[in-house]
Amino acid sequence: MEPVINVQNVSKQFKNKTAVDEVSFSIQKGEVVAILGPNGAGKTTTMLMMLGLLKPTQGRVQLLNKHPQETDVREKIGVMLQEVSVIDALSVREVLELFRSYYPNPLSIQELVELTRFTNDELKKRANKLSGGQQRRLGFALAMAGNPEVLFFDEPTVGLDVTSRKVFWNTVEKLKNQGKTIIFTTHYLQEADDIAERVILFHHGKIIGDGKPNDIKAALTKQSVSFTAKETFSFDHLHSLPGVTDVYEKDGRVYLITKDIDLVLSRLFSLEIKLENIEIERGRLEDAFEQLTESREGA
Amino acid sequence: MRGFKMQCKVEILRVLRNPYYVFWSLFMPIVFYIVFTKIFNTDLENPKMWQAHILMSMTAFSVMGSAIMTLGIRLVEERKQGWSMFMRIVPISDQAYYFAKMIGQTMIHIFSILVIFTAGALINSIQLTTVEWLLCGLWILFGSFPFLAIGALVGTMKRVDTAAGVSNMVYFVFAILGGMWMPIELFPDILQTIGKVLPSFHFGSGAWQIVRGGGPDLTNFLVIGGYLIVFMLLSSYIRRKQEVAV
Repeated sequence: MEPVINVQNVSKQFKNKTAVDEVSFSIQKGEVVAILGPNGAGKTTTMLMMLGLLKPTQGRVQLLNKHPQETDVREKIGVMLQEVSVIDALSVREVLELFRSYYPNPLSIQELVELTRFTNDELKKRANKLSGGQQRRLGFALAMAGNPEVLFFDEPTVGLDVTSRKVFWNTVEKLKNQGKTIIFTTHYLQEADDIAERVILFHHGKIIGDGKPNDIKAALTKQSVSFTAKETFSFDHLHSLPGVTDVYEKDGRVYLITKDIDLVLSRLFSLEIKLENIEIERGRLEDAFEQLTESREGA
Repeated sequence: MRGFKMQCKVEILRVLRNPYYVFWSLFMPIVFYIVFTKIFNTDLENPKMWQAHILMSMTAFSVMGSAIMTLGIRLVEERKQGWSMFMRIVPISDQAYYFAKMIGQTMIHIFSILVIFTAGALINSIQLTTVEWLLCGLWILFGSFPFLAIGALVGTMKRVDTAAGVSNMVYFVFAILGGMWMPIELFPDILQTIGKVLPSFHFGSGAWQIVRGGGPDLTNFLVIGGYLIVFMLLSSYIRRKQEVAV
């Protein structure tokens, strides 16, 4: 199958700062992909390059097998960017009509209103006088105006309250079921985990993980086996167990850090040390995510 | 094509809803016209001619203002707010977008001309032939093009404040030195010399000659055309350079 998006060895340099560093990935039709990373990781820059709004310093981006700025590509995509204030002096309905007029097969006003739940009063309001949440909904409506095949959302839920967030992701879920390809950036791990089938993890302009949310989580999360020992023994045995990445003692408990709990447990028993109070800890994902980004920050 | 038409329509709506346009380009020129013809109208040899002359000046003044200011400042605002970037992901080309803006602005100019001509004609019952009215309108419309190009040039500026400041200054210098508020013959020689190379003087001249039964001369055409080409090239050059910088 042909990829919808193809990013090959792309870098972006701003003056002396490398925002995106040799990034490659491709996205297939119908995939829902989260570009996850802390602020300043290069997510937005990468998205802007996917759209052809920024020129890569190096490398190549193809969207629907073409340069992203080609008109027939633009007809098939819908985009919600951060920090776009809407054209002034027009009502919400007029802005929607304007955007519909750009596309060959737009959604009807009716459909757009259903998607975004604009009331009649809201439709009559001047677009630049909307509240933050309403502006986001308008942004979403504009992204949907052309009934796009591929959707890009840049930090779509920043500044939204919990309810609006839920409504937004429910709608995205529906679009996913219609077979649309959806790419969104976020720095909320939970969102990536809940919505996306695939997570591309960005840090300092590089991809440090790309896979199913569970795999990314497994890679991120520190899992540990801990126990108290009834007899003294050498830690060296523990260090040499396969799958163990770290061993330490804390408050009278011995901790084994691993990615493969099952393997470590079976080997641990075969050591025939007398163990008590075995506990398994999967670790909190949020903590792990924070820790990862912080430790890399420090490096 | 549907998108292009809609864009034109929207641009017209946006200008009409802009209180600055209504105030500066419709209300003020008419007020100035009344002041110049009803208050400063003592001992003139030919008051009717003077009234028609001032009416043309004020119409040109209005159109010049909305061409430079409305277009220029709006372009800067749109870029500042991320709007122009957003326009690059919808399937309407840059050229179509700017062209729609120009067409919309020209429609607005036609509207301004109609309003001010009507007001002037009613206030002082000016007697021009239909052909003269028509030619004056057409000339003012044609003469607005270099000012649209100046507006586009102003539109390449980075900050709204700078754009507003510069366009205001250019606007008033053009208006005064171009003889739109008082005939250029009343100025000292040096200012007359400067005035005569400005596009605003030639813009006004064309219409002033029509109400006197003549017509724009070749110099008027050449100067207007020349400025149009220069400012068009300049603004498109700068825009291209800005795009590369991204």
